[in-house]
Amino acid sequence: MELDQIKTEAEKEISPIVSQKDLENWRVKYLGRKSELSLFFDSLKSLSFQLRKTQGNKANQTRQFLSSLYQQKREDLEKNQPDFEFFDLTRPGEKIKKGHLHPLTLVLREIVHSFEKIGFEVVEGPEIETEYYNFDALRIPENHPARDMWDTFWLKPKVNLPADKQNSKLLLRTHTSPMQIRYMEKHQPPFRIIIPGKCFRFEATDVHHEFQFHQVEGLMVGENISLANFKFIIREVIEDIFKHQVDIRFRPSYFPFVAPGLEVDIKIKSKANDEWLEIMGAGMIHPQLFKNIGYEANLWQGFAFGLGVERIAMIKYGIDDIRLFFGSDIRFLEQF
Amino acid sequence: MKFSFEWLKELVKFKESPEKMAELLTLYLAETNVFFRGKRAIFEVDLLPNRVTDASGHLGLAREISAILNKKFNYPQPKFKEEKKTAKSLITITIKSPYCRRYAARTIWHLKVKSSPQWLKERLKDCGLNPINNIVDAANYAMLLTGQPLHVFDFQKIAFNKEKKKEIIIRQAKKGEQITTLERKTYQLKENNLLICDAKQPLALAGIKGGLTAEVDKDTRLIIIESANFDGANIHLTSKELGLKTDASWRFEHHLDPDLAVYAVDISAQIIQQVAGGAILKGKTDAINYSSRKIIIPINFKTWEKMLGWPIKKQEIVKKLKLLGFSLIERKEYLLVKPSLYRNDIENAEDVIGEVARLQGFDQIPSLSPKERVILPVKNELWEIKEKIKDWLAAYHLEEVYNYSLISQKDRGILAEDWQSKLIALANPISDLFCYLRPTLLLNFLKNINDNFRFTDKIRFFEIGEIYHWETKRKEETVFGGILAKKEKILKQPLFYEAKGIIEGIFTDLGIDKDDYSIKPIEKTEYSSILGKGMALYVKNQFLGVIGIPKKNFLKKYDVKGEVVFWEIKILPLMALEQAEREYEPLPQYPAAIRDVSFIIKKDILIDKILQTIQKNASFLEDVDLFDIYEGENLPFEKQSLSFHLIFRSSEKTLKAEEVDKEMKKIYKALQQLGALIR
Repeated sequence: MELDQIKTEAEKEISPIVSQKDLENWRVKYLGRKSELSLFFDSLKSLSFQLRKTQGNKANQTRQFLSSLYQQKREDLEKNQPDFEFFDLTRPGEKIKKGHLHPLTLVLREIVHSFEKIGFEVVEGPEIETEYYNFDALRIPENHPARDMWDTFWLKPKVNLPADKQNSKLLLRTHTSPMQIRYMEKHQPPFRIIIPGKCFRFEATDVHHEFQFHQVEGLMVGENISLANFKFIIREVIEDIFKHQVDIRFRPSYFPFVAPGLEVDIKIKSKANDEWLEIMGAGMIHPQLFKNIGYEANLWQGFAFGLGVERIAMIKYGIDDIRLFFGSDIRFLEQF
Repeated sequence: MKFSFEWLKELVKFKESPEKMAELLTLYLAETNVFFRGKRAIFEVDLLPNRVTDASGHLGLAREISAILNKKFNYPQPKFKEEKKTAKSLITITIKSPYCRRYAARTIWHLKVKSSPQWLKERLKDCGLNPINNIVDAANYAMLLTGQPLHVFDFQKIAFNKEKKKEIIIRQAKKGEQITTLERKTYQLKENNLLICDAKQPLALAGIKGGLTAEVDKDTRLIIIESANFDGANIHLTSKELGLKTDASWRFEHHLDPDLAVYAVDISAQIIQQVAGGAILKGKTDAINYSSRKIIIPINFKTWEKMLGWPIKKQEIVKKLKLLGFSLIERKEYLLVKPSLYRNDIENAEDVIGEVARLQGFDQIPSLSPKERVILPVKNELWEIKEKIKDWLAAYHLEEVYNYSLISQKDRGILAEDWQSKLIALANPISDLFCYLRPTLLLNFLKNINDNFRFTDKIRFFEIGEIYHWETKRKEETVFGGILAKKEKILKQPLFYEAKGIIEGIFTDLGIDKDDYSIKPIEKTEYSSILGKGMALYVKNQFLGVIGIPKKNFLKKYDVKGEVVFWEIKILPLMALEQAEREYEPLPQYPAAIRDVSFIIKKDILIDKILQTIQKNASFLEDVDLFDIYEGENLPFEKQSLSFHLIFRSSEKTLKAEEVDKEMKKIYKALQQLGALIR
C-alpha cells in the first residue's frame, strides 16, 4: 500500500473510535511491529542509498503523522472518560466506630474553656473534706440554720474514737467552696481560679435531685475586683457558654461566706415563657475569710461563685431527669 | 413561707398586681411565687436564712416592700386600755438560763374562749395555719404579723410559788426530766434543753412547743401571753435532738431580735382582746437577760466605689439606708451607720454597701470590665492529662461514664477481708445501696455491664474519677479505669489483648516508653482477690495499676456472664512519666532491610522471651514486629505459629544482602534452640 493511502485509511478509521480498546487495535494495525508501515521500513533495506533516503524520509513523516493522530485521539478519549467508575452515592457511609464523652465532660469543658479565655486557672481539690474547710472556715457554724442549706454525708472515723477525741469530723464536700480557703491559704492575690469538682448532698434522689453532682467554683481576687466586675465576667462567660442564646438575671441570695450574696438565673431566649432557671450562687468574698487566712487587712477584695454543672447540661441538652447522668445507660451515653 | 397579699396591701397601700409584686420581691429580696386561695393571692416567699429574723412577719415584709417602692414605712402602734390592777402583783418571772434573753408577758382577765371570727380564720388559712380557737388564733395572727412566736398559758393552771404568786421560771431541764406536749407526746429531756416552768413543773418546751399542763381550753378565762427570746443555736439543737421542728422553733433558730418580744406582746394583747374580750392588766412583766447589740459601722465614702465598681452619690446612699430603717451620722469622709436592731444580719461595711446595691437592684447595677493586668493562667497538668486520656479513650471507641462514688452494703460483702477493712464508710447513709466510698471502679462497672447487656452485646466503658480508702489517713486517688465486656466468650482473641493494646496506646500517646514501666504478676498486689488473671504495672517500685480479668466467682456475684476485662491505672504516677517535650529523631540516612520469619513453637514459650531472644542474637536489628499468630487446624494443640517482621538498618551504611543473611542465620539458630521449627 502506498504511504499516502495508509495515511488516508488510518485517518478515516481513527475518527469514529470511542474506546481505548479500539484505539489500541488501531495502533497495532498502523503502528505495530507487523503494521504495513513497519513492513515498509523493513523493505527499505533492499533499496539503493538514494532511494532509501527519500523513501525513508517519507516513511518517517508518515510515522510521525500516525503517532500524532494516535496521541491526539488518546488525549481526546481520556478527556471524555469519566473520573470514576459508577458507584451509588446514596448508599449510607461506612460506620466509623468511636466512643463518646459524657455530657458532663462536654459541658465542663465548655465552662472551663470559657473561663480560661479570660485568664482563669483550673484548680482541683479533695472530695473528702473536714468540717472545718467545708463549714467553719466558711462562716457556717454548727447549730446555725444556714448549715441546713447543706445536707451532709458524714464519714465514720477510721477507728471509733469518742466524738470529742476526733480532730475534725470528716465529710463528703457539699460544695466546692472549701477550696476557696485551701487555695487562699497557699496563694497570695491577685488570682483568678476555677475549681471544677464532684460534690455530695444527703438527699433522696428523684428527677431533680441527686446525692452526687458537680460544681465549678470560681474565685477572682485583686485590689479592685468589684461587684460590677463580677457582673461583667459572669455575663460574658454565660453568654459564651450558651452562645448568646439566653437572658441573664441577677438577684439577691445569701451564703455566709459572701457579702452581699447573689443568685444568677437564666432563661433560654427562644423559650421566653419558661421559668427562670437558677444556675449559680455567688457574691463578694466575705472579709472575714481574708482575715482568717491572714491577708493584709482591707487590701484585697473579689468575688466567688459556684456554678451547677448538671443544671447547665440539663438546660443545654434538654435533659429532664438528673439521674440519667449517673445511670450509665448506653442508649443515653451514645447520644453525645 | 406564706404571706397574704391582701394583708400586705393593707399595710403598705401599693397598686402593684400580685404578679408584679412577686417579681419585685424576687429581684429585690427573695424568690417569690404567687398562688391563689379562692380569689385571694398568696405569696410563697423563699426567705433567705439571714432575713428570717426581720422579714418573716407581714410587717417586716411590708417594710421591705416599702423600701423597694421607695416609700417610708410606719409601724402600727398598739392601742388598748389597761386595768388598774398590775400584772406584777400577780405574776413574777425568773430567768435561770443564759439561753433565754428576754421574757415579756401580759395578763388578760375575763375573756371568753370561742371560735374565731371568719376573717381571722381565713387569714390564718391563707398563711397555712389551722384555726383552733380565738385565743390561740389571735396569738398566731400576731406572730404572722410581727414574726415573733407567742404562747398563751391558762393562768389558773399555773402553780403558785411560796409568795402566793404565779411564777414563771425559765430554766434548763433537770436530769431525767420529761414533758408532755400539747399533742400528748412525752419527751425525755437533756440538761441543755430549755424549759418554761412554774414552781412545780415544766409548762412548755421553750421556743418549740407548749405543754399540756397549762393548755388553753374552752373553760379558760384568765391567760398569760408569753413573748420571749431564746438563743437560736440552743433551740436548733433541742429541736434536732427531739426531732421536733415547729414554726416557732424555725423562727427562733434564726436569732430573733429580743426587742421584738416587747412590741409583739402588746400587739398580741390588743388582738386577743379584740376577738375574745377581757381586761388587760396594767403593765408588762418583763425579764431582761442580755445587753442590746450596739453596733456602729463607719464607712469611708471612697469604699463604696471601690467595692461596687461605679461611683454612687452620697444622697443616694443616705436615701436607701434610711428606707431600710438604718440610722446615720454623716461626717466629712465617713458615714457612721447604725443598722436597725431587727437587722442583726448587718455586721460590717460590706453588708451595708451590699444592701444599697440590693435596693438599687442587682439586675440594674452596672456591669464593668475589670482593669486587671493580663496574667496567663498556669496550666493544670493533672486536669490536662485527664482531658487528653478522655479524648484518646473515646477515639478507641469507649463510652465515658460517671458512676456513683458510693457502693452498697452488698458490694462490701463481696469484697475480700483486706478490701473491707480499708473501706471508708458513711456515718449517715441514705440507704443500703450507697454506704461506702468506692475503693475501685470495678464494682460499679460490673453493675453497668448487667444493666446494659439488655441493649447491647458488647460493652466498652471508661471512667476517670476518684477511688477512696483508709491508709494512715483518708486517701483519694484519681484513676482512669475501663471495662470491656462481651456476652459471648470468643476464645480466639481474648479481650485481654485489646485492653492491653488500649493501655499501651494511651501510654504511647503520653510519650511513655516500654522501658519506663515494668510488668509484674498480679498475685503480689491487693487486686489479686478480685482479679483472677492479669498484670500489674509498676514505675520503679511504685504501683501504677492493673489490667486483668475479674475472678469467676466475683462475676457470678454480679450475675455477669461472658468475657470481661478491667483496668485501673493511677494518674498521678503516670504524670511523672509523661514526656513533656518530645524530641525529633533525625530521619534514617540508609535504607532498611526487611525480612520475615515464621516458625512453629510451643505456646508456653512466652512472646516476651521470644522477642528478647531475637533481639539479643542479632546486630543491626532496629525493630521486631509480631504480625501474625496462628493456632488451630493444622497445628498440634500445644503449638502456635508466629510470624515477625524484622527490620535491619545501619546508621553508617547500606546493609548488603549477605550481611542481613548472616544476622538471620543467627536468629534462626537462637530460635531453634528455643524449640522453634522455622517454616
